[in-house]
Amino acid sequence: MAQEMTKKQALVRMIGFGIASAAVFGTVFHFASPITEIFSRGGMYAALPIATVFLVSYVHGAFASNLWSALGIEAKRPAKAVQPTKTKRPEVRATLNA
Amino acid sequence: MDVALDSLKFIDLTASSIAFLFIVGFIGGLVSGFIGSGGAFVLTPGMMSLGVPGTVAVASNMCHKFPKALVGAIKRFRYGQVDIKLGLVMAASAGIGVQVGIKIQNMILAAWGQAGSNLYVSLSFVAVLVLVGGYVFRDAMTSGKRGAAEAVAPLALRLQKIELWPMMTFKTAGVRISMWFTIPVGFATGMLAATIAVGGFIGVPGMIYVIGATGLVASASELVIAFAMGLGGTINWAMHGMVDIRLTLIILAGSLLGVQLGAIGTTIVKESLIKFVMGSIMLIVAVSRALAVPKYLAELKLLDIDPGYVSIMDKASFVIMCAALTFGAVIILGSMYKARKANARLEQEAYSQA
Repeated sequence: MAQEMTKKQALVRMIGFGIASAAVFGTVFHFASPITEIFSRGGMYAALPIATVFLVSYVHGAFASNLWSALGIEAKRPAKAVQPTKTKRPEVRATLNA
Repeated sequence: MDVALDSLKFIDLTASSIAFLFIVGFIGGLVSGFIGSGGAFVLTPGMMSLGVPGTVAVASNMCHKFPKALVGAIKRFRYGQVDIKLGLVMAASAGIGVQVGIKIQNMILAAWGQAGSNLYVSLSFVAVLVLVGGYVFRDAMTSGKRGAAEAVAPLALRLQKIELWPMMTFKTAGVRISMWFTIPVGFATGMLAATIAVGGFIGVPGMIYVIGATGLVASASELVIAFAMGLGGTINWAMHGMVDIRLTLIILAGSLLGVQLGAIGTTIVKESLIKFVMGSIMLIVAVSRALAVPKYLAELKLLDIDPGYVSIMDKASFVIMCAALTFGAVIILGSMYKARKANARLEQEAYSQA
């Protein structure tokens, strides 16, 4: 049940980030020529392509991560090493059986 | 808002070129997420085959590389595989290596021209990939057969015992070693990155066999180096106005999907598979670059060869390079599928026994 919920959450987040990602890609490619021209002016304009790829890596990266989770492709959790249970050895006591 | 782009610098995008860049981006991302590097060596010639000028291809490729490495590094950090300190220490010396590599390239370019420079790049490719790739591949085969947990390399063990100030402790890697032994590895990584654009082919084996990290930690920490070096390189190229943001974003769209899948893969498959994939790709790429050598020898008038053969070898070289990447991707995806199936079977058995 818990895993179903996680998958459902991943699906919702995937859709949300998918829309955001599509909006970023859509904007860039709708204005592809002016954006490419401005972004390649050099000098201080170098900040523009760098800021764009950071934005895309966040939005599209989150979309991709949730996509794989929604598809059930997730990392295997490392098996917890079994710790030997500490058992207290009975203390040797001198007893007098009188 | 219609602006005419400089046709000498920016290509017209077609549906097929977009599909090509997206797919290569995805496969390159998958391999990078898994072995820490790769993909870049196909993307630059791939873009050039579409008509993109060399400098724009290199710049646009680099601009996609650092955000991809960042996303992959964050993902693998969450799995406890990234040693940030090791990655940053290596990146610092790699930065110096890049500068020296560029200087050597410029000296060769000035002395022997473009053909001489291309010959130097191809010979470096072949020499490094055959030697290092062969060693990694052999190690992967032997450790795969043993099936035991990864053992620390003998050279790394010997170096770790030398107490040479300043000693550095890398907690995630579980290594304590003198800083002086990390510098040559980082430096060589940077030199190779400046020469063949894939520093990870030295960086990852160096971290495994010289420093003593496991394949898992080395390949994950390589992503930190790739991020730092890629960001530095991108700032430089973007200030010269060489980044074609359209190409970068198309590749990034594919590679961000791939890099996360590759990162997930490292937690599912056997650890020795990282070395196997890396060694195999390096050896196949070595064959590809060896096929490019006669062309440059002919251009330098050091070899007399039919231009028809040169053209065939050139095409074969590119096809083999793509095959190397595809081979890596198929092995990763196939192994992930098998491992998931085996896990599901085990869970099923455990459930039925309970």
